[in-house]
Amino acid sequence: MTAAVKPASMVGRPAPLIDGVEKVTGVAKYTADLDATGALVGRIYRSPYQHAEIISVNIDEALKLPGVIAVITGDECDIPFGILPIAQNEYPLSRDKVRYRGEPVAAVAAVDEKTAEHALSLITMTVNELDAYDHPDQALKKNAAQLFDDRPGNLEREVHHEFGDVSAGMKDADLIQKGHYDCGEVTHMHMEPHAALAEYDVERDRITLQSVTQVPFYVHLRVAQCLKLDTSKVRVIKPYIGGGFGARTETLNFEIIACLLARAAGGKVRMKLSREETFLTHRGRPHTVVDLEIGMKKDGRITACTCRVQQTGGAYGGYGIVTILYAGSLLNAIYDIPAVKYDGYRVYTNTPACGAMRGHGTVDVRYAFESLLDQMAGELKLDPFQVRRVNLLNAPTETINGLKVTSYGLPDCLDWAEKASGWKTQKNNSSQTDGKPKGKSKGLSKGLGMACSHYVSGAAKPVHWTGEPHAVINLKLDFDGGVTILTGAADIGQGSSTILAQVVGEVLGIDFSRLTVIANDSRITPKDNGSYSSRVTFMVGNAALQAAENLKSILVEAAAKRLDAYPEDIECLGEVYRVKGGQGSDLSFNDVVTEALVDTGTITVKGTFTVPREFQGGKYRGAGVGPSMAYSYSTVACEVSVDDITGKVSVEKVWAAHDCGYALNPLSVEGQVQGAVWMGLGQALSEQTRYIKGLPVTANILDYRVPTINDSPPIDVEIIESMDPNGPFGAKEASEGALAAIIPAIGNAIFNATGVRLQDPPFTPDRVLMAMEKQRPSGGAG
Amino acid sequence: MEYMPEFSVLKPTTTAEAARMLNDQNGARILAGGTDLLVNIRRGIEAPQTLIDISAIDDVTGIACEQDGTIRIGSGVTLNTLVKNPSLPEAIVQAAAEIAAKSHQNMATVGGNLCLDTRCVYYNQSEWWRNANAYCLKSRGEICHVAPKSKICFAAFSGDLAPALLVHHADIEILGPDGIRSCQLDDLYNDDGADHLRLQKNEMLTAVILPASQNHISGYGKARVRNSIDFPLAGVAVRLSRDGDTLSSLDIALTGVSACPVRLSGTDQVCGQVFGMETLDRLSHLLPKQIQPMTSTMTPPGYRRKVANNLMRNLVERLFAG
Repeated sequence: MTAAVKPASMVGRPAPLIDGVEKVTGVAKYTADLDATGALVGRIYRSPYQHAEIISVNIDEALKLPGVIAVITGDECDIPFGILPIAQNEYPLSRDKVRYRGEPVAAVAAVDEKTAEHALSLITMTVNELDAYDHPDQALKKNAAQLFDDRPGNLEREVHHEFGDVSAGMKDADLIQKGHYDCGEVTHMHMEPHAALAEYDVERDRITLQSVTQVPFYVHLRVAQCLKLDTSKVRVIKPYIGGGFGARTETLNFEIIACLLARAAGGKVRMKLSREETFLTHRGRPHTVVDLEIGMKKDGRITACTCRVQQTGGAYGGYGIVTILYAGSLLNAIYDIPAVKYDGYRVYTNTPACGAMRGHGTVDVRYAFESLLDQMAGELKLDPFQVRRVNLLNAPTETINGLKVTSYGLPDCLDWAEKASGWKTQKNNSSQTDGKPKGKSKGLSKGLGMACSHYVSGAAKPVHWTGEPHAVINLKLDFDGGVTILTGAADIGQGSSTILAQVVGEVLGIDFSRLTVIANDSRITPKDNGSYSSRVTFMVGNAALQAAENLKSILVEAAAKRLDAYPEDIECLGEVYRVKGGQGSDLSFNDVVTEALVDTGTITVKGTFTVPREFQGGKYRGAGVGPSMAYSYSTVACEVSVDDITGKVSVEKVWAAHDCGYALNPLSVEGQVQGAVWMGLGQALSEQTRYIKGLPVTANILDYRVPTINDSPPIDVEIIESMDPNGPFGAKEASEGALAAIIPAIGNAIFNATGVRLQDPPFTPDRVLMAMEKQRPSGGAG
Repeated sequence: MEYMPEFSVLKPTTTAEAARMLNDQNGARILAGGTDLLVNIRRGIEAPQTLIDISAIDDVTGIACEQDGTIRIGSGVTLNTLVKNPSLPEAIVQAAAEIAAKSHQNMATVGGNLCLDTRCVYYNQSEWWRNANAYCLKSRGEICHVAPKSKICFAAFSGDLAPALLVHHADIEILGPDGIRSCQLDDLYNDDGADHLRLQKNEMLTAVILPASQNHISGYGKARVRNSIDFPLAGVAVRLSRDGDTLSSLDIALTGVSACPVRLSGTDQVCGQVFGMETLDRLSHLLPKQIQPMTSTMTPPGYRRKVANNLMRNLVERLFAG
């Protein structure tokens, strides 16, 4: 009898991503790499007009060009779409109006790129131009031209929430301060430009779309809707994706256009959007103005808070309502705030539409909050860490707006960040400075700053309320002894497929090499809502856990039968099954499988997960956005140096503690936290989209300034594990939470270094230098 | 994808051959590293029918130190080669090292950077963009969007090498159908964003000649948002020599703040006097009238003025201190 060994744990250990080899060796096929044999080149004709009524779109000359197979306009589709069922006001190709420069108006399918380009140049449109607005101040004016007849005042949504007694809280405060923060619009800048490959089967009236989506299910519904096809005639496949970050969490115009073109052309169409077109498709984080007021006791306890948020939403609805709701709801669930008044305004403007971006809706408000806390801490001569500590929640608890906090690692995050950054020794214990730069050498002032943030582990309420489980996993086990995990969860580079394999592998204890993940082919894999709001580890992980447990009990039953024992007496050691106590023979996994297949044949099991009703939030309007089964927590500290000659801010070092509940894969958690911090750093230092009369000035990777490796500091990540009671093995999200904290941490560090408090990110050298000049105009540099 | 128009590529092995091709081919452009030209072609800003690739011409890829101390740098020398050359003055090495990023520096050349096209937020955009904006005075349009009432173009010169070479009083050699002509580097430039190079369509830059340096010390400072890739918001080169506590010579040149590189005039006024804060203040007084940053970038011109001044003062002070 062999000495059976308990299998090594599959979770809680650093594991390279299961598709890492393919990506690094270049074997992985992204949408633009897929076999395009016989595909026509698809291109989009985009509106040069910012806001106009369409009189006609003239495609006759383009149609006459040899090699042009199809040209379509808004006439091709009269069904609007949009991610939210209550805000579907976008057509794949404009119909009556264009509302931003770059809006798709027509599309061409031609035999090659040269012909397609030529065809575009032959398309013209005649319009009746209307007043157009880049900025909400203009769009909100009394007699402004309305983008939508059914959205008076150019407002997509107004939110007014009040919880607790704010005026009593303010009366009770020893200190009340306010801040006005104007945060620039940013965008995802995923490395892979947009692309889609659509194939229409003329004989069978079916369409197959392969695309860069994070949400194949929603794309499936929209394609069916806009093509007026039964959903059974649509197939959506998601290949490897070069990043999403929220850009691809809604059906995008070019995805539907590719399908419409493929049908019009009666064949296959490939669209590869340029970087500029990718910027025009946008769906980034809106330009946001936050007016915040906090009441605080002498000891730092927050007594009340009022917050007004205005988001420049762009020309279409998209996720807008959700974004303006998240901005308010997540004021809570990080600190114990007894009273909050929130007023939010989502405004339409004639610019590319904004959408969801890592940290969705919460980032700019968190930046404002953590900056104001720092400012008030200075005023009260309290250490910023101390201010956080006197406002901690006592989990498990429920917030004033109905959010349930089940696990809360923020205290440990604070402790680690404080220690690792050398906070107490390296800096004055107050964030106040006498205005003289510290550690000045060679024109460099150094400073330390900190901030906290949090995020949901999946929105408790799905976008489509169908009554179905939130997540479904299928497992298949057959004569070959390999376990196939079938999932609709979209791996967009965050490593979701790896996590699912680890979870299943952990439960079954089998050799990791037996596991294969097949993700995202609507003909084969079960539906999943998609990769957004950081739901996959929590929700799909739990479904995978259940599926694996189901499979394991089938195998245990089979082993019991074979060993003539009761199932409860069987010990599962992964590759070996035997009777507990070690009497009798061992069964190999393959033998167990053989037994399990008798009479039933191929084993397929299912696991599901649904968020229980009690976590889905309150009954008031807008209550559905914010609730989650678990929140992640982060504390970020950083050291900056500010060059007083150029105003350039360099982030020297970052310490990021992130409570992810439990790290199923510490290697990928570390990577995600670093990526989140780094993305926030870009927003803090140098990223901003700019428009001149609606034309995007920064629609390329030179002018849209994502930090290069030469701008990037070392980021030390500490994983904090609060062991969430409901997450799979205790896990919560790891990809979004830490982003928000780095922005105020940098702003606070700049203040510590220079005595200058900047309100408006990005903190570009010009803003920093001009602010330093204003503060001390007789400064040495002249 | 943006469609890249078609063109043919010729690859001469001598400068004479290149000059001939440049003269004979209609709409031909010199292709050195191509790090700027190819971007502009893809955007539809340039549409040359022929590219003349000079990478195989030995004549222009060398750096030669003559006996009398002059240094001859071929126009096809890569920036990376400059960075690695210990015999070159500091300002030139520093300027080269800060151009774009390492990967660009492997391909980009001295000639390419000196002849860099001027830049403007209204010009360096795609065909679709510029068409939607009715083009501009520099290219195919009637109006300068930076200064709508202006009759001249305000696109900014954005090469970093020029000021570093100007402060060393560099000369250049230009090859045309009639042979080689020499002139000062200063004479290559025109203060007009739409026509900033005094170079005929059938001429090519072949060499830069640096006169021997005496006891000069030099440096280059660049202001940009990121630490690589970005063009200068302002760039300042300084070369000076010191005699005890006075300046015996001072040359200052700037980039990014006008339609052509600017040699600061009047620097001789502070030479021969005791160096101090007053020296810097006098230089700060000279500067504003000689530079003209405009809204050709999204970074406010006021900042570019300020940072040019800060860089200049800092460099002069630092170099004087040794």
